[in-house]
Amino acid sequence: MSHVLPPAEGINLPGLLLVFAVLLPILGLIAMLGLRALHPERVARVVAPLGLLLACAILAEVWEGRSAIDYTLGGWAPPLGLKLRADGVSAVMLVLAALVIGAAALFSQHQFRTPPDAPGDTRAPFAFWSMLMAMWSALNLVFVGEDLFNFFVALELLTFSAVTLVCLDGRATTLHAALRYLLFALLGSVLYLLGVGLIYGRYGVLDLALLSELAQPGPITLAAVAMMTVGLMAKASLFPLHLWLPPAHAGAPPAASAVLSALVVKAPFFLILRLWFELLPAPYSPLAGQLLAALGAAAILMCSVVALGQSRLKLMIAYSTVAQIGYLFLVFTLTAGPAPFAGLGWTGGVLQLLSHALAKASMFLAAGLIAEDMGHDRIADFSGLARRQPLAIFAFGLAGLSLMGLPPSGGFVAKLMLLSAAAASGQWWIAAVILAGGVLAAGYVFRVIGAAMKDRDGEAAQPAATLPATGRHALVLALALLALALGFVPLQPLALFAIGRGELAQGQP
Amino acid sequence: MSAAGLLLAAAPTFPLLLGASALWRGARAHLLRVLPVAPLPALAAALLAPGGSLVLAPDPLRLTLALDLPGALLLGGAGMLWSLAGLYAARYMAGARHRTSFTLWWLFTMAGTLGLFVVADLASFYLAFSLASLAAYGLVAQERNPEAERAARVYMVLALLGEAFLLMGFVLMAVGVADGNPMIAQALERLPASPWREAILALLILGFGLKMGLVPLHVWMPLAHPVAPMPASAVLSGIIVKAGIIGLIRFLPFEAGAEGWGTALVVLGLFTAYYAVAVGLAQRHPKVVLAYSTVSQMGVIAAVLGAGLAAGDPRTRTLAAYYALHHMLVKGALFLGTGLSAGQRNGWKRVVMAVLAFALAGLPLTSGMLAKYVVKDVFAPGPALWLVTLSAAGSAALMLHFLHRLAHAAEAKRAGPVLLASWLGVGAASLVAAWALFPVVTNTSAATLFSPATVWKASWPILIGVLLVLPPLRLADRVPHIPPGDVIVWAERLLPRLRRLAEDVERLDAFLRRWPVAALLLVLLMLLLGAALQLSA
Amino acid sequence: MTHSLVSAATLLGLCACGMVGIGLYGLIVRPDALRKLLSFNILGSGVFLLFGVIGRRGAAAGLEGDPVPQAIVITGIVVAFSATALAATLLVKISDAENALPDAGREEDEA
Repeated sequence: MSHVLPPAEGINLPGLLLVFAVLLPILGLIAMLGLRALHPERVARVVAPLGLLLACAILAEVWEGRSAIDYTLGGWAPPLGLKLRADGVSAVMLVLAALVIGAAALFSQHQFRTPPDAPGDTRAPFAFWSMLMAMWSALNLVFVGEDLFNFFVALELLTFSAVTLVCLDGRATTLHAALRYLLFALLGSVLYLLGVGLIYGRYGVLDLALLSELAQPGPITLAAVAMMTVGLMAKASLFPLHLWLPPAHAGAPPAASAVLSALVVKAPFFLILRLWFELLPAPYSPLAGQLLAALGAAAILMCSVVALGQSRLKLMIAYSTVAQIGYLFLVFTLTAGPAPFAGLGWTGGVLQLLSHALAKASMFLAAGLIAEDMGHDRIADFSGLARRQPLAIFAFGLAGLSLMGLPPSGGFVAKLMLLSAAAASGQWWIAAVILAGGVLAAGYVFRVIGAAMKDRDGEAAQPAATLPATGRHALVLALALLALALGFVPLQPLALFAIGRGELAQGQP
Repeated sequence: MSAAGLLLAAAPTFPLLLGASALWRGARAHLLRVLPVAPLPALAAALLAPGGSLVLAPDPLRLTLALDLPGALLLGGAGMLWSLAGLYAARYMAGARHRTSFTLWWLFTMAGTLGLFVVADLASFYLAFSLASLAAYGLVAQERNPEAERAARVYMVLALLGEAFLLMGFVLMAVGVADGNPMIAQALERLPASPWREAILALLILGFGLKMGLVPLHVWMPLAHPVAPMPASAVLSGIIVKAGIIGLIRFLPFEAGAEGWGTALVVLGLFTAYYAVAVGLAQRHPKVVLAYSTVSQMGVIAAVLGAGLAAGDPRTRTLAAYYALHHMLVKGALFLGTGLSAGQRNGWKRVVMAVLAFALAGLPLTSGMLAKYVVKDVFAPGPALWLVTLSAAGSAALMLHFLHRLAHAAEAKRAGPVLLASWLGVGAASLVAAWALFPVVTNTSAATLFSPATVWKASWPILIGVLLVLPPLRLADRVPHIPPGDVIVWAERLLPRLRRLAEDVERLDAFLRRWPVAALLLVLLMLLLGAALQLSA
Repeated sequence: MTHSLVSAATLLGLCACGMVGIGLYGLIVRPDALRKLLSFNILGSGVFLLFGVIGRRGAAAGLEGDPVPQAIVITGIVVAFSATALAATLLVKISDAENALPDAGREEDEA
């Protein structure tokens, strides 16, 4: 096991970047706690760009070196110590998290501004900013962690901060949604922890890299993976375990919804990916992969139909999230073969994750702008909206392109790759579901745009009262354009997403 | 990077850039007036750049533009119609509400269609096709009344279905290609050996046939054309439907041939040609009659393409494009003229409209005669050739019915010199383009067209058609009225059932979201997943 | 000696399984949130007990006892405590909000 030992002397600078990625938001949080005179939104304004810079540096480092960054905390190698590791996908996820959280922070500068006169109510702004920082740290920890129990702690931190963000407005409805979210997530956590216990009991090790070498396809290992996977599925809101997501994501403030839909449900999915491709002895049972894919397919079909029927915009977007999560789980049956990470299924899955995150963040923020302007989010009463908020509707439509899987958009390329992988492996039912999901998504996106393009009766005579564009509009548009820009990646397996993966597959350092 | 290549790139990007300029308030106000200029690079490319090509992005993206003869024919025709219809629109829509959104949809649709004729790789083709399809939604929905909303909804559902079919077809064509984005020519070479050859051809014919409006996928046209503004109808019927034709021209394996699929396409096309005439005769609104005429003409082109496919005749590409060019300009002129000459019982406008209308049936010396003369080469002597020839009789009957309905329609209000000029310009362009391009397309002199035998061959079906409609037969008055969109009315009866299904799904979702159910499912899934994992090999 | 230790571990393991079962049952069928929270705590305790058993197994092999499960249990208890506190806070807030506005939020769910 000599290869898991850290370099004995000298400072591992790239590795330290990983530590900072986790620590920076915590430092922000401490600054917010300790120096209340520094308004938390100002702290966030400093921390967000720094975090983005850090994430980009990690990505650049991983890309330059064509290999994963490892860091062993305090020089204590696993199994006793903890290791951090960023491979290609982790690095991309770090950048994604920094982008979305940065956008949410910029978007909320006004909404969650600390009142200038001291006696004002500072609790909600403070809760928002501190929880945002805690969430960011937890996300980064999930993305760079290597230790199964470490993941548990990160996930719990993630859940607690997410639950708090859901019920920020303190209405009974959102409190109920938050409680339901918390309890169901806790159920998932316990199952996950149970699985961790079984794994530790069997192997005496919790480090994923070590486990990927030790793990045997015995009943204990498989039962543990089943427990952990289902626990994580509950947190990722995979159909039919999505009971908590629609009310929670629809009730949260727009910036929080954006982060929740874009990132928080992706973290458990990311972990499932790691469990299945690192812990589970390859190749895993195709039947199990098909079970996950079948749930994903059911999510796509059912929740898209339910999204079509929603009368409120935010609920519609939330259901669309559940449907889009379904696409991610198709990956488990599209990555068969000797080199899963060099295939289109893997790249398509990761791209779907990225483009959905950006598009959905843009959509929720656009919905926030719309709700702020109209005072409600009932789709049926959106007439005249396209005149008042052309940029918000435009951004909504652009983000919608990605959800529908129409070119040019990241969603299109992702679906194209998933389709190709499905066709190449002869899984026609998956191809049919992907296509049907695209048509249904177009249905719910165009329903909103169609409603917004209508004119209110008697409004014809009035001059067009277009509201002035603000920085927030630019922000929403920028996120949608980023999702669009992902549509220009080449239609072949991306080397970036396989960095650090090939080694694992071959069991080499 | 050659000048020809740059011209090709400018064809789709210039309208896009104009559209993007709407972000600036100052530019937005003048955009409508710029519409006639937007397609000029495309027109220039069609005239100057055939054979030119440009690789926009090298490997692995491989966005490639190229212009061959069929592409140039359609690009030139489309550029001409977009430009003159844009002139018409600039005046027609000047005082209209939503003219900014109209201008934007117009420009994006234009960019999509013009791009479609010049792209040479699979991904760019799909991109241009989607852009044209989706942006045309805005043109259909422009008037924002309930009829327009219904038409736009039907259009959108069908367009999305078509996109889904095409996407699957394209994916199957691209599977196994190293960079995932083959050139169209490369994909065609691989097609005969593909294990999914039949599926690919079926998907392509479905997807493109839908855009062309082959029965029963034609239902969007009779709904969309009457509700769109006049210039928008002209480009919908003239150009957007040609997206389907360029698709079949580009993707059907004419070199290798495919007898079964070719025959199927002939049958489908001929059925469409006659069916649309029959239903069109039962229509009252002149624009609906024109829409059915478009469906019928697309049927004829489908039959031509099918015959070429069955015979494995690569010339079909150019010949079908030539026919499509004729239809593009004539139908565009007819729609523009409908806005100017409706309700008029006599006068020179009515004469011009009659000439244009009968051009569709192949009136001697018009583009129609040339186009019909040219495509008959593709058919082997036999029943298909007879039926195609006789379809001109149907066209003549339908067009006489159209002229009749046009005269009885509400009188057109506007007829300024600009509108008249753009209408007559498109009509004249159909003549000039057809005669000028005849030698290019056929490699023979146009002199052969003046022989009495040729003229008689073109004339007798028209006489039959006219006799069918005139007294004593009065065919048009005997058919019962059929609502525009015919079969869509039945399809829409299924809507309540679909809605009930959706409600059932919502109820199921509500049931699954109950706490005990979801929690129990969680445990159940854990057991299932555990069992499934144990079954590993 | 060894024999009795093993059986103690087994006994504890069985207890842990029982607690997990009871907790799961309560979490699934109990309609009111407070009982769900209590069930969660029982379930959690069962899992922690399991970790204790796993740590104890090391002792059976002649070691002092495995420190990793102990660390996990301690951390886990802190996490479970925080979760309970957060849920309890939410419960109090819900009851406050509903006392202020008796009908709000009732239609949402029974969680």
